[in-house]
Parts: sequence; structure tokens; C-alpha cells
Amino acid sequence: MSKRMTEPTPARRSASTNESFAREAADVTTLSTAVADRPDHETIFDVEDVSVFYGDKRAVRNVRIRLAQNEITALIGPSGCGKSTFIRCLNRMNDLIPSAKVTGSIGYHGQDLYGSDVDPVQVRKRIGMVFQKPNPFPKSIYDNIAFGPRVLGLKGDMDEIVESALRRGALWDEVKDRLKTNAFGMSGGQQQRLCIARSLATSPDVLLMDEPCSALDPISTGRIEDLMMELKQDYSIVIVTHNMQQAARVSDMTAFFTVELDGDSGHRTGAVVEYDKTDKVFQNPSDKRTEDYVTGKVG
Amino acid sequence: MAPGREALRGRFREELRTLETQTLGALDMVVNTLDRALEALAHQDVELASIVIADDDRIDGRFLEVHQGILSLLALQSPVASDLRVVAALLHVIKHAERMGDQCVNVAKLIPLSGHEPPRDKRLVEMIEEMGRLARSEVQQAKQAFALRDVALAEDLVRQDERINRLNRDAFKLAVQIGTDEDTREWAMHMMLVARALERLGDNAVDVGEQVAFVVTGLFREFSDASHP
Amino acid sequence: MAVTAGHREATRRAVEPASSSQRLKESAFKATMLLSTLVGLLFLTVLLVDVGRDGLPLVGADFITSFPSRISPETSGVRSALQGTLLLIVVTAAFIVPVGIATAIYLEEYADTERWWNRIIELNIQNLAAVPSIVYGILGLAWIVRGPLSLGRVLLAGALTLGLLVLPVVIVVAREAIRAVPSSIRDGSLALGATQWQTIWKQVLPGALPGIATGVILALSRAIGETAPLILVGAVAFYRFDSDGLLSSFSALPIQILEAVTDSDPAFRDLAAAAIIVLLVILLLMNSVAIFLRNRYEQKW
Repeated sequence: MSKRMTEPTPARRSASTNESFAREAADVTTLSTAVADRPDHETIFDVEDVSVFYGDKRAVRNVRIRLAQNEITALIGPSGCGKSTFIRCLNRMNDLIPSAKVTGSIGYHGQDLYGSDVDPVQVRKRIGMVFQKPNPFPKSIYDNIAFGPRVLGLKGDMDEIVESALRRGALWDEVKDRLKTNAFGMSGGQQQRLCIARSLATSPDVLLMDEPCSALDPISTGRIEDLMMELKQDYSIVIVTHNMQQAARVSDMTAFFTVELDGDSGHRTGAVVEYDKTDKVFQNPSDKRTEDYVTGKVG
Repeated sequence: MAPGREALRGRFREELRTLETQTLGALDMVVNTLDRALEALAHQDVELASIVIADDDRIDGRFLEVHQGILSLLALQSPVASDLRVVAALLHVIKHAERMGDQCVNVAKLIPLSGHEPPRDKRLVEMIEEMGRLARSEVQQAKQAFALRDVALAEDLVRQDERINRLNRDAFKLAVQIGTDEDTREWAMHMMLVARALERLGDNAVDVGEQVAFVVTGLFREFSDASHP
Repeated sequence: MAVTAGHREATRRAVEPASSSQRLKESAFKATMLLSTLVGLLFLTVLLVDVGRDGLPLVGADFITSFPSRISPETSGVRSALQGTLLLIVVTAAFIVPVGIATAIYLEEYADTERWWNRIIELNIQNLAAVPSIVYGILGLAWIVRGPLSLGRVLLAGALTLGLLVLPVVIVVAREAIRAVPSSIRDGSLALGATQWQTIWKQVLPGALPGIATGVILALSRAIGETAPLILVGAVAFYRFDSDGLLSSFSALPIQILEAVTDSDPAFRDLAAAAIIVLLVILLLMNSVAIFLRNRYEQKW
């Protein structure tokens, strides 16, 4: 089920919508400084004017950011601001929702991610995802890790692939003697590290993480954050988090999504308001909305 | 290799360590600057004095570096408990180091003013030199006390500072005495300003010691209250 | 009892005990529930005792291996009927398992519920489970024995008819089992680069299998107890041959029981009891396997 990039039909736009689109265009240009700012880091995702629609309701509008290699980018914002919706565009998981439509373009290493010649299965091999609630398969630890390589038909010694993935996921020492036991017997933090190792087994170069620690205790959270810092050297990471301190601790760049309420329809749309170095966003944000959010004035 | 409990938040620990190293390094810079200021004073070396004044930029730069680093650490890492106390203490210590640097500059600025061949009173010169040695020793002891988190060593600073304070008072009396002579009066007044700068430098070192006690005990108290002589 | 106000204050408790009328209501309720249970158990016990008393002495190796006889009850047995029932189990299973699971997979994983035809299918499956078994018998007679398939009165026709009867149940059970597999498992699989089919085959089905197996076995145990469809499809009461394959005439235990129970000779009625015991044993075995499978392999998500 490949999704094509489509434009929302102009006939549906009313005059007031045209006005608000004009306003949006103006907003978007304020991000251009941050987007252009890091010439030394190679671009991995070039997100250009991306909006996501569910049916004809727009969940996220006009995202325009450039994600660079070997960086951790945090997406923060209040609930309902579309950060999870957006991150699922990056590995085409939104394709699986029949009513979802993605407009704009996402370049991945310069190639159009939604191009007609692009296989979503291959996209997900190279761009892995870890979810909010750890979701190990009801199989052995070994089979969990081996699942991705097996379905993708990867060649190589499976034992080696499994060990390598578990080592990179900082789990090998703890489970090397019980690889054949069921994954459900592990603690929550271990299960999440298993899910990370499982994604690493397909040798991706990007890891998307959708609130990976929100179901975990502080110690497990800390270990996963340390793991992310290690992984940063070999992978690029995008993390959605509602924990601002976590975003501050681990990320290099932070994008703040705000929620816009359409007065007429009461419908909520998310938009990126600020995208900058994490240091700047948490010490001296450019936009008042960002400041209000990170200081906790606005939820 | 799973990170153990001690290894958690490695980046944060490293950054905190770096900040402390930079801050204590600033105290080393102060000692260097003080040495050169005192040497310039002893030999009436105007050129050395101007180097001292220019070099204060380095201490100021270090101050800004540490200050920014502390803000960054507070914003991004949310330190708590002893970590938070250390960060707060470092902010105070770097401020004191910067002030100490300024005091050295004050000393250096007075050198050309006293002229190339000023009439000198040997006793006053000796007092000033003693004060300089004591101040230097205080700064080093303050640095060590902070590095080792040694409260006793920090409290000992008061004793040394007492000697500087006494010397300052004695020097003042002596300066008043020799000031009746018109030729030596101007030089003596400049020397008083030098003594004052050294005495203030010593006070700053004691303040650093107070921060050591704060980090270790969590309580802030003044070692010696200036309002109670 | 407290006399003064002050004393009453002191004896007032933080938590009051239940009043006696409350306790009475509780006990009455419990007693009513227990009685209802006992009524059901009582009827079942009476049935079992009655059947057992009449039939147990007759059940034996001879009984199972002898063909039925119209003439002599002493030599009559359930050999052909037993064969028929066992074969029906196997063939019906071979029909309902793939068809039922495939339908359930289509409805759960592929069908877009917005489309009208899918909604009609959903609605009708629920209705089909409630249709009386004799209607399935008529369907089998008209379309499988005669009509388009024209198989004749053979085992395969019986199996297909019974299969259609219990297929809605299998579909419902399989859908429940598939639905019980959390979407997080599907998301996890897809996010690793598996296709939808790979996800279904390697994650969803294996996870749903214990539930499906239990449901299939229970559906089969219902199927083999049905008499009306088998009558219409032409199961024979006195079949004195070993089974000749799918396309031969056949007998089945319910048919033979029906025939024997209505006989005027009491000796034959005792044979019915014995046949009932055999049927009950088979059903008991099947249900035990279902329970064993469920307890051993049930997936707790």
C-alpha cells in the first residue's frame, strides 16, 4: 500500500482558509534560520512543508526542518500537537492508516521518501522505530532479535547478528545465558532495550523513538538515555518526548510543536514553532510560546 | 556493557567535572597573576605591570566560560542535591576568582604611578611583601580545600586572613607615621591602596572557603563576620 | 449498652458492622445461586446415572467393533457409526479450519469496515450462527447432496454440511483470537520491515492459534452432536460396512442413537444408552483437549 504525495484539492479551501494559509506561510519563514544553521552536519531528513491529514482534518501543518546525521533531535510539545503523527511520517508508518494523507516532501539522504519507486518495507529496514510501551514478541529473546533479519532475508550468521544487536543495545551481558527464554519474562526496562536491540538488528541508520521511556521507572529511563548517547555515534535518533527534562538532557536539537485551535471548527492542528539547538531552546528560546511551554506556564 | 549505577548520566558528570576543573583553574590563574603583580611591584617593572593588566582578560574570559557552562548545566541537566550545591558554589567561586583577578589589576595599576625611583620605606615594603605571600598562600589553600572538599582546611583560612588583616592595620599606622614626610607621603598612600587590594583578595579567598563548607554541609555560614572585628 | 451520652460517644466505632437484615439478604442471595447450580447439576446427574445404568454393562470391545444389527441386539455394535463420527470430525475440521481462519483474517486484517459489503458480511455471520441446524440440513440436501455439487448421500456431504453449520462459530472465535493480539505487536513487526502478510503469518496467527484451536475443537464437538442435518443429508442408521472413503455412504453415532432409542424392543434401547456413553466419551475427550490446550498455550498479553 504505497502512499503518494497529494495536494489537498483547492476546491475545498474557503476564503478564510486561504487567509490562514497566508498567515502560515509567514510563520514558516521564521524557522529558516535554524533550518540552515548547521552546515557541517550531513542532512539525513529534509522535511519540506509537510502536513498530515486524517480524512480532511489536518493534524500537523507545514513542518519544515532539517535533521542532521549523528544527532539526537527531540520533538516536544503539549499533547495533541502532532509530534507522534509527524514522527510516523519518517518511516511511513502512517501508510498503514487508511485515512491518513501526507503532503509536502520528505527527503531521506536526498531521495524522496514517498517517491513511487520507494518500497515502504525497505524504508522501515533503514529507519527503525521504538514505541511507547515496550512491545516484545511472545517469543524467545533470540527470536525477537532475529525476526527483522529473517523477514527481510538478511544474509549472515544469525547468531552473530543477534549478539551484535544485543551488544549495541547494552543488553548482551544480562541475557547472553538465557537467549532462548521468553522475552515476556524480562523487566520493563529490559524489554524496551530488547525492542531497541531488535530495531538495531536490521542495521538501520536512523532510530525513531516515540516516548520510549514514558512507561519505565527512572533507573531504566536513565539507562536508556545513556544508551541513546552511545548510539548517537553510529545512528541518528529522533525522539518524541513529553518529558522536557529528558529532551534537555539527551538531545542536540529540539523542535517545539504547538497546538493551534481553529476557532470555527474547534479542530486542533500541530505546528513547529521553534527548532534550534537544545541549549538555546532551554536557556533562551526565541518564541514566546516555546518559553511558556518549557517554563510550564502553558501545558 | 550495561552502564552501572555509577556510570549513569555520564555526560552530565563529565560536564560538572569540567566546570569544576575550569573554576579551580581560574584560581591557579589568580595565583600566577598575583605572583607577577607582586614581582612587578618589587622591581617597579612597569612593563610587567601592563602585562598583568592585559592578562586579566583571560580570567574574565574564564569567568564567562564557567558562567555560561553553569547556566547550560542548570537548564539542561536539572542537577539536584549535592550536585546542585556544587553548581551554586562554583558560580560563587568563579565570581570570587574574577574579583581576585581585579584586585591584582588594582595592584598593577598602582605601580607606574609611584614613579621610577620613589622614596621607599623598607619596613612598609616588607609588610606589603608579607601580605602578598599570605594572600598567595590563602588562594592556594582555598583551591585545595575546594578540590578536596576539606572543611577544616577551609576554616583554617580565617586564621591566615587574620594575619593579613592585622598587617593591613599595622601598615596603615606606619603609613600615617611616615606620611608626615612630604616626599614619602604619596608613595605611602599608594602602598596603602596596594595593601587594601591584597586584604580584599584575602577576603575573597575566605569566601571561597565558605563555599566549601556549603557544598559539604548544605549550610551557608560566614566564617568571620566583618561586622564583628 | 451505653447509658450516658458521654459513654455512647466512647463506644461509637469508626466502622459499623453489617446490620442483621443485610446479612440475611446476603445469605439468601448466595443460597439462591447455589440452588440454581444444584438444579442444573441434578438433571445432569440423573441423565448420566440413567444412561450409565442401562448402557455401561454393554460398552466393551465387542460393542465398539461390531456392526449394528436390526435383528439381534446382543451382537449389535457401533463400529460403523463410530467410524463415521470420527471421520466426520477429521473431514469437517479439514474444511472449517482453513476456511474459517482465512475468513477471520480477511475480516480482521484486510477488510475496510467503511465499505458496505464488509458491513453486510459482518452482520450476516452473527445471524448465521443462530440459524437452526435443520435449515443447514435442508441446505446440504438441496445444494450439496443434490443440486450444484451433487455429491450424493456421502460422508463428504455430511462433513461439508456440518462444517457450514459451525463455520460462523469458528469465524467468530477466530476473530476474537486475532483481535486479542494487541496492535502493538503488529506495529512492532511492521516497523521492522515485515509486510502485512508476513506479520499475519508470523506474529498474529501464532499468537491467536491457542484461542483458535480451542474454538475449533468446541465447534467440532457441537457439530458431531447434531442429528437433524445428518438425517437430511442421508446418514444411514444401519450401515454394515467399514467406511469406504469420503464418497461412500456413512453412518454416525447420533443417527444410530436416534434409531435405537425409538425401537420397541427395550434391548435396543439399552444399546442406545451404550452408544450415548460412547458419544459422551468422545465429547469429553475433545473438550479435555480443548481445555488442556487453552491452559497450556494461552497467550497472556
